[in-house]
Order: sequence, then C-alpha cells, then structure tokens
Amino acid sequence: MSVGRRLPRVDAREKTDGRARYIGDVERPGMLHAAILGSGCAHAIIEGYDLTEALAAPGVRAIVTGDDCPDARMGAFIKDEHAIAKGKVRYVGEPVAAVAADTLAQAQAACRLIQVRYRDLAAVLTPTEALAPGACILHEDVAAYEKVFDAGSHGNLCSRTSYAEGDVDASWPECDLVLEDWFEAHAQAHVALEPVGALAEVDANGRVTLWSANQSVFRVQANVCESLDLPMSRLRCLTPRIGGGFGNKMEAHVQPITVMLALKSGRPVRLILTRPDDFEMVRVRHPARVRVKTGAKRDGTLVAREVEVILDGGAYADDSPGVLSFMLRMCSGPYRFRAVKAHGKVVYTNKLRSGAFRGFGQPQVQFGCEQHVDEIAKRIGMDPFDLRRRNQKQAGEHWFGGQDVRSCGLAQCMDAAERASGWRNRRRGGKADEGRLRGMGMAVTAHISATLATGAIVRMLEDGSIVLNTGATDIGQGSDTVLGQICAAALRLDPRDIAIAGPDTDGSPYNWGTTASRVTYTTGRSVQAAARDVERQAKEQAAEILECSIDDLELREGGAVGIAGVPGKQVTFRDISRRAHWRRGGPIIGRHSWVFDKPSIDPKRAVAIGNPSNAAGVFSFGAVVVEVEVDTVTGKTRVLRAWSAVDVGKAINPAAVEGQIEGAFVQGMGYALVEELVWDGGRLANPTLMDYKIPTFRDTPYDIETIIVEAPEPDAPFGAKGAGEIGINVVAAAIANAVTDATGVRFTKLPLSSERVLRALLSAPADKGGR
Amino acid sequence: MSIACRLNVNGAIQSVEVDGAETLLTTLRERLALLGAKRGCDQGVCGACTVLMDGMPVRACLSLAANCADSPLTTIEALNRDALGRDLQHAFVELGAVQCGFCTSGMLLTAYALLRDNPSAELDDVREALSGNLCRCSGYRKIIDAVLHVARPRGS
Amino acid sequence: MSDTVLHRPATLHAALELLADNPDAHAIAGGVSLVAIINAQLLAPTALVSLRGIGELEGIRATPDGGIAIGAMTRHRAVAAEARLRGPLGCVSEAARSIASPPVRNMGTIGGSISLGDPGADLPPALVAVDATIEIANARRTRRLSAREFFVDWYTTALEPGELVTAVRLPASESGTACYEKLVRVAGDICIASVALSVSSSGTARAALGGCGPAPVFSDEADALLSRGLGDAASVQAAGAALGRVAKPMDDVRGSADYRRMLIPRMLARAAARAFAQLERAA
Repeated sequence: MSVGRRLPRVDAREKTDGRARYIGDVERPGMLHAAILGSGCAHAIIEGYDLTEALAAPGVRAIVTGDDCPDARMGAFIKDEHAIAKGKVRYVGEPVAAVAADTLAQAQAACRLIQVRYRDLAAVLTPTEALAPGACILHEDVAAYEKVFDAGSHGNLCSRTSYAEGDVDASWPECDLVLEDWFEAHAQAHVALEPVGALAEVDANGRVTLWSANQSVFRVQANVCESLDLPMSRLRCLTPRIGGGFGNKMEAHVQPITVMLALKSGRPVRLILTRPDDFEMVRVRHPARVRVKTGAKRDGTLVAREVEVILDGGAYADDSPGVLSFMLRMCSGPYRFRAVKAHGKVVYTNKLRSGAFRGFGQPQVQFGCEQHVDEIAKRIGMDPFDLRRRNQKQAGEHWFGGQDVRSCGLAQCMDAAERASGWRNRRRGGKADEGRLRGMGMAVTAHISATLATGAIVRMLEDGSIVLNTGATDIGQGSDTVLGQICAAALRLDPRDIAIAGPDTDGSPYNWGTTASRVTYTTGRSVQAAARDVERQAKEQAAEILECSIDDLELREGGAVGIAGVPGKQVTFRDISRRAHWRRGGPIIGRHSWVFDKPSIDPKRAVAIGNPSNAAGVFSFGAVVVEVEVDTVTGKTRVLRAWSAVDVGKAINPAAVEGQIEGAFVQGMGYALVEELVWDGGRLANPTLMDYKIPTFRDTPYDIETIIVEAPEPDAPFGAKGAGEIGINVVAAAIANAVTDATGVRFTKLPLSSERVLRALLSAPADKGGR
Repeated sequence: MSIACRLNVNGAIQSVEVDGAETLLTTLRERLALLGAKRGCDQGVCGACTVLMDGMPVRACLSLAANCADSPLTTIEALNRDALGRDLQHAFVELGAVQCGFCTSGMLLTAYALLRDNPSAELDDVREALSGNLCRCSGYRKIIDAVLHVARPRGS
Repeated sequence: MSDTVLHRPATLHAALELLADNPDAHAIAGGVSLVAIINAQLLAPTALVSLRGIGELEGIRATPDGGIAIGAMTRHRAVAAEARLRGPLGCVSEAARSIASPPVRNMGTIGGSISLGDPGADLPPALVAVDATIEIANARRTRRLSAREFFVDWYTTALEPGELVTAVRLPASESGTACYEKLVRVAGDICIASVALSVSSSGTARAALGGCGPAPVFSDEADALLSRGLGDAASVQAAGAALGRVAKPMDDVRGSADYRRMLIPRMLARAAARAFAQLERAA
C-alpha cells in the first residue's frame, strides 16, 4: 500500500538530471523576449507615453501600455487591478509598459527609451498616513469595484472584517490578569528560487496558450481573462515545472502583460522577471500591526482575547481580505476562550501589494498571541506547556466562530515536542558563557486545509493503465506524488503505474489552486472518490465478465478485479478496459468534484461582519520548540535546535511532510531573525539577493526534528490533512519566547535582528545580560 | 562583437560565437541547449547557476563565456556519467532532497566537487562547501542527509 | 552587450597598453563584481581587458626581504588556504575565508576585490592591519602605495585611469597573531562591521575596521593603545573609543550607523581578547 510510504517523488529524477523544464526553459518557434518598465513614482497620474524612440530601437516588435488593455479589473476579492498600470501608477515598480523584442537585451534597452509623463500625487506610505483625513486616495472608484463580499471599502480602506463570539467586554473584569500590547510584524519576500515568468502564444484562430510559473492554472485563467476581457474559452493555461511559490505565484504576476504582448505582436512572447523585478513588482507578506489583549485567571484559565489588526495591503487588494479574515479567525489560537473578538482592516498604501504568503497572516498575528500566552504562564508561574494543555482545543469542540473541530492532535504534538526537546530538563533562564546566552521557547498553532473547489478525473486507458488529472499544480511540495499515491492506494496499483497529467485549463477539472495547504485534503478527497468511481465501473464490467454479483467482487493488487475468496477468478484492468472501449459500457472515466462548504461562522454562535468567504477548512495542529543562542556582544541570535510536531491527520508521504515542515521552519526562522525588506520612501532599497538575505546552510541548524502526529480527519483521504503552511506559523513566536527566556527581554517588533536585540539588551536590567 | 570560442563542455568541444560580455550561463542555456543551469539572481548569490570549471564550482552567471575557453566545464547534464555523480543523484531522489528542484543542479555539482575532493566529508564540511547554494524549499536538512549518505566515513 | 569587445592579452604589458589606448575599457579580473554589475544593466562596457592567464599577475611568492607577494590575480580561495599567511598575517587569510561563498572564492581575486573599493569588503581592513603595500602599474611606470593610502573613499581607490594593481606585498612578519572578526546577517554576507587585528609578539598591534566608513577605519592612537595593553580592558576600551572617533559609518540595509558605532568597541574588545588568548597559548 503506497499511502504512508516515503516514496521518491515522481519528478525528482528529472530534476537531478537537470532535465526538468521550468518556464525559463520553455521555448516556442519565433519566440520574442520581453521586459517590463516599472514605475519610478509611488503615486502619479499617467498623462501620456512617448514610445517613438523605443519603437524604433533595434529588434523591437511590440510595446504595450495601459492604453492597450481594456478598462477591466481583476482581483481575488476586490477587482481593483488592471492588467498593467492604466491611468495612474500606485507603487514604485508597478509595471507601466512592456516590450517584446528579438532578444532580451534589446527589450531591456528599449524599455529604457520609453518616456512616461507622470503627474505626481502625494504618496501614502503607511496605513496611518493613508487613513488620515485628507490623505490622497489610491482607488477613487473603490466603492464601485466589483467585490465578492461586503468589504466596506471607502477612501483608502480596502476592507474591514470582524468576528465576535461571546462578550469580551464583560469578560475583562473577571480576569485576574489582562495583557494588552501592540505588536509589529514586518513584510517578507518569498524568494522562491525561480523568478516569475510566462510565455504566451496566439494560434491562427486567435486562441491563446499561456504557460506560466503559477500555483493555479485556473487563477491564471481567471485573472488574465478578467483583466483582458477575454472569454475563458479563448485562453488555455498550462504549467511547466515550478521553482517554488510560497504564495508569490498564486495570483497574477506577468501573465496578463505577456498575453497582451503576444496578442499585439502576433508572435509567442516569453517574459521572465529579473530577480530585482521579482522583488519589486510582484507581492510580499503583509506588514501588520496587531493589538493583542488577553485575559486569564490566576489558575491559568484563558478567559478572553481581543485582537485588532491593521494590515498594510499595498497598492492593490490581491488576497488581502482573505489574509485579514484568516488572521482574525485564527487569533484565538487552539484554546478554549470564553469570549473572542477579532477585528481589523486592510489599508491601501502606495507600496508593493501584499498578498498570499505561507501562513497567510498567522506568522504575524501569532507573534503577538503566543507571546501573550507565554507571558501569562510566566507571570502566574505555570509551565508554558501546562498552561496550553489546560486550555487546549479538543476534537468535538468548535473553533472560534463555530466550525467543528473533528480531529485534533494538539495534545500529542505538545507531548511529542516537549519530550523530544528535553523541555522539562532544560536550563532555566539564560546561561552566560563567553558573552552568549541560551534559552528555549515554545509555541503552538493550528491551521486549516481545504477551501474552495476541486475535482479529479481518473481515466483507464485502453490497456488498463491509469491517468490522473486533477488540475493541481505541484509547486515543489510534492502534490503530484502524493495524489498519485492516494490514487494508487485506492486502486491497489503501484504509484509508478499512475500517470499524472499536468494542469491544463482545457482538460483538467477546476482546482482553485495550490495554496491554503489544501491539495492533499481537498484534491486528495476528490482523487479517492474518482478512483472509487473507477472501481465501481470496473466492477460493473467484471461482474458481467465473471457472471457474478458486483458485491462479490474485490480489487486485487496490480490492476485486477476478482471474486473475493476465489484467488483464481479475476479479470485484469486491461481486459476490463478493452471490453469497455470496444464492446460494452464505454471507456471508464472516474470523476468527482466538490466545493468545501463547511461554514466557518455559525451565526448562532458568532457575529461576523465583512466575512470574505464562509468556508475555510479542516484543522491541523502543531507545536514548536526552539533553542536559541544570543550573542550579547553583537545581539546576533541563532537557532541551535528545533522540534516541530505537526498533526497532519495521515502522512501520505512522510518524507514529503518532513520536507515541508523543515523548509517552513527555516523560512520562518529567516522571517524572525534576518529577512527584512527595507523601504526608502516608496522604493524598495534592497531588491536583490545581495541585500535581502535568507538563511544559508551555515545559518541553519542541522537539528531540526520533525515529529509527525496523526489524528485522522473524518472524510479525509486516509485521514490526511494539509502540511504546507503550518510549519511556519509560530516559528517567530517560539523564537521570540526563547529569546525572552535567554535574556528576560520581550520583543514586540520583528525581525529580531542583531541590532534590535543588542539595543534591547543594553536597555535591560544588568542581571539579565544587559550591559 | 562576436567572438569565436571553443568551449570544452562535458568532455565535448563546442564551437560557439559569443558576444564579448556574454555570460557562460547565457551561452550554456541559449546556444548549447544545456538548460540544467538556472538563472535565479544573475548576481552570483543564489547558486542555481553553479557549474564546475576545472573541476571547481563557479558561478556561470558571473563567468564570461569567452574567458572559459581553456577550462573543462561540467554541467549537471553530465553528472550521471560518473559513479559518484549517480550516487549523489540517487541519494537526493531517495532521501527526499528534491522539492521544487530549482537549486538541485547547482547543489549536486557542488556536492560532487566536495565528495570528490573529500570523500569523508562530515557535517560541517558539507555546510561550508554548500554555503553558497541557497534552497528555499527544504530547510537544507535532507540535502545534508543525502550528501552524508554518499560520503564514506573516515577509516572505511 | 553585443557591442562589447573582449581583449585577452597574454602579458601584463599588453594589458596595460590596451588600457592606456582604450580609456573606456574596463579591466576584468575574476569578474565576480564586474559581471554582476553588467548583468544588472548598471554598466554596458564597450571593451573589456581580461587579466586571466597573465602569468606575471599570478602566484604567491616569498620576497627577498622576507615578506610575501600575492599576485593580483590570486583567487580568494588560494589566499584563504595560504599557509604562509600565519601569525600576524593570519587576518588576511581569515578575511579571505569569509568572503561570499566557496564558488565566488574560486573566482574572485585579491586585485579585483581591492580595486573595487567596496567599503564593506573583507580584504581592505585586513591589509591595512598588516601594513600591506599595494603594487600598481600602468603602461609607463610602476609605483607602490601603502594599503592605508590606497583605499580612499566609497568605491574609490588611489588607482588612476589606466592603472592596475599588480600585486599585494605583505611585510616580513615575526611571530605573533592576528584575527578577523566579522558580523554578518547570514554567512557570506557583506559585513555589518568587521575588525582586523594584527599583533606581533614584540607587542606592536594594528587594527582596522570594515563597514564603518567609506574606507577602512584605522587610528594611530588606537594602535598605540592596543600595543600598550592588548590584555588590558581599559586600554582596549580607549582604543575602541579612538576608532569610534574617526569612524564614519552610514545607515544601510544591513544596519544603522548608530548600531555600527555601538559595535566598534564591542567587536574590538572581542578581537583583542581572542588575539590575547592566542598569544598566551602560543607562549
């Protein structure tokens, strides 16, 4: 049985041979190369373009600007964005024009010759500035934009959301201890190793084929067609291998512009962003200011929590309303609060748009929330694990807002992380040794997997072999492999005998995308159901062939159906399929599609305003412990060891789960300690890998232990839940708690850079390492 | 201005015309159809373009093609010709050290050079040798395990 | 880019002549800085003069006066591994070991690196601390400059148009020790700040800072204090203060000027303690 096995990935071999083909490797005959001109202004009216010089430059075949796209807008929640800047620019780096030429160098040279006449507008660079009376407005027509929910948009307020369950205001007086703090979490760049890119080709009938680095061919299709006013049937979206996403490639990047160039030039056009453009043009994690208020009793009972979130959404809404609402829904943490109130807003600013990034707001909100829980434990003298155990969510309870928690491995995660890390025997406080202090910290989390629509088609080819088509993009996390394992297990085949069809909007069933940790659970469930459909049809054939009742039949290993208890009596998939194709029944096609529809808000329990989507997903849980060392001479902090226990329901492929948890940990560690986007006014000052740093081998501890916990989720494929994001959620919080353990200082701002830590140490009391 | 250049790539002499400031990465990918070396930053930081020159890891994105004429070059496409190379590829596949794969070409070549020169490499040797290859997917752990799996412990 | 001529002279003289005849030409050594700048479209040179393969620029050799001459085209990898860079010269090899990453160290050269005048580079403060001499040539003459005089300002050295660094000379060294302390965000990063310290067993100490000004920061007053009392906290603190007075750190994406000022005495103290302990162990 392939489920639960550490099978090598189906695409690993081609990647080790250097033969995997990413968007930068895809070529079409007659292809042109494209480059983008980004705005130099943070906020300005575009008064006009002078393309004369650029059009006359060598090799130039087409130039597009906002004049070439319709006044149509795309956007996942609020449709506020054109295919390319039209009428005005709203952030430095916003694509303003694009050139297709014979060579990349020619396209880049021509971009430099394009003249754009701007009329500068005042730029608002923070939510505070943007919401101030009289602030210059980014989207004058925001009230008229099409929206998928009641966003409450006006002025520079992009959206607002609130949830409340119980009465927090009545609860504070009953608390023995109430903490209230503002926390500031910063932006983060995804830094997928592959920059974004696309290749568009128009055929003789005017139909466009579009390859792109993406996390969803269907989101590509929707965004391109909405922004260019094309019927979806005129656009076919395909996926090469993807070099990482982490959220950067879920919504549109250069695809609409690439299609515009292909349409205008009549030639295939490939556009791959340079690394600096990838930093400046696409999207980042939301900078967030979060007010957390937590009330507890002296005996460690958590009573009430209020969270207020202000998200800097940047110039376009993108996934911001979703990020906000998710942060608010998850701000209770996996605890039994009596009352929770969560409210917040997304604010437009003249900076690069903020969007989806692994964790989807959790790293920012949990940085404050999990420090509060730790601080409460400290003040009442309770062990941080014990405090969490006292209040922990359990299966059968409901989440903040009302959704049932049907599986919960939180307790096992905590036990495992506590035991593996030697928490009970850890040195209390810091140990000063040659100017280095050590500490340990922990945090717990929950996440969802699921949401929105997905499907699967399983076809039995003439010879009995199987093709699986789900439309799910494997961005490197291993979904092709995992879905193949599920299909193989369901049909009792070797996974190597399952062909995985690439995502193709022409042939694949709709799949919202590889995001929200959803593919294993949501698409896996469809795969399992479609495979069962194949099983049923195969058994119908076999019943006729073997002249028995369908109830007597069982699937056999290796692709056959036989009469249970009679080893000799069976018929192969091959013979079944031949009969189906040539004689009776028709080719066997198993299919399933569904949309996750468990409401996340139960109106009998909670009040919701501005709720962007009322169905999130099923719950996974996790616990993280880290050991850190703080250099008191420089303030530099490093993680020595880490333990991350995650309840994934069922690990379809344990190696793939570990890979996600390990990678998420290091990405979270980078976020907590060294990654920092630096803004110089509206301009990004460090849009290169020389200047924006992610952890290397030498900065990363070898000792990152992943512990897989399995609390199976009902109705899930083999009980499996998602694992893609949960590993990052509370890394910053755990590191902050560990640094507090080491130094006695609490940090309310990220990142815990060496400068920030040293300054804090120098203002701390001397007995805690301050000097 | 085009320069006629004879490059020794994977044991074969390739005659190409290159521009004066053309990088080896561009030449490999666009003229020689060797797409395994990737462009991740064009600045020599990410390591996705790493190839071997005279057996040593170098950045193809920072090498001028016309300046590479005298030095044998090895790209990922040739790694499986060599037993050590095959062992590394196999270990990467079996131990889950490949996720998105964009770093993999550079990672394998650098690891290959390490183990060829230091067959008994240990943890810190691996971390030091690969410190110039970034990976955003894996957290590095399984890559280290794969390389150490192929390394021969001292004295064996 | 398709207009760039690449010259590949076989001798130093030919290279210098080409540079004299083509004022717009850029010399290219390892290429790690120059090609990155070209890739970023910040420079589109019409001509490049490659120094690769010029024998006179390669190699590390002993000089008649007991010192060491490092050819300008010597790769960082070789400087990092050079056994003769020990004792008071050890900060030079330690600095080379900390540059970027192994593949970049396989390519980058000492001549190319110091010619850039990068205020955050590692070799410049180490060369100042060991009182290195930079050998320079153009088509007509050669000259020498102390490392202290060579690094002038942001990305500005004392090199005049048509001049090349041909070698870096390190003085004969007695016994002693050295260290290079470097604070980075991540391994291989340009420093936030660095301290190069070279100490002879007779007591002469020299310190220089990287990342704390447009050029390596040094102070005779600081050196005198360190020479008097490497193991004495008050002297080291006073030396740190002296260096702080002449440092001109800037805010950049790696850290603020203020932070660098905080770091100077702290990192100097750590370097001094390390050097002192190394001397004690050797004694």
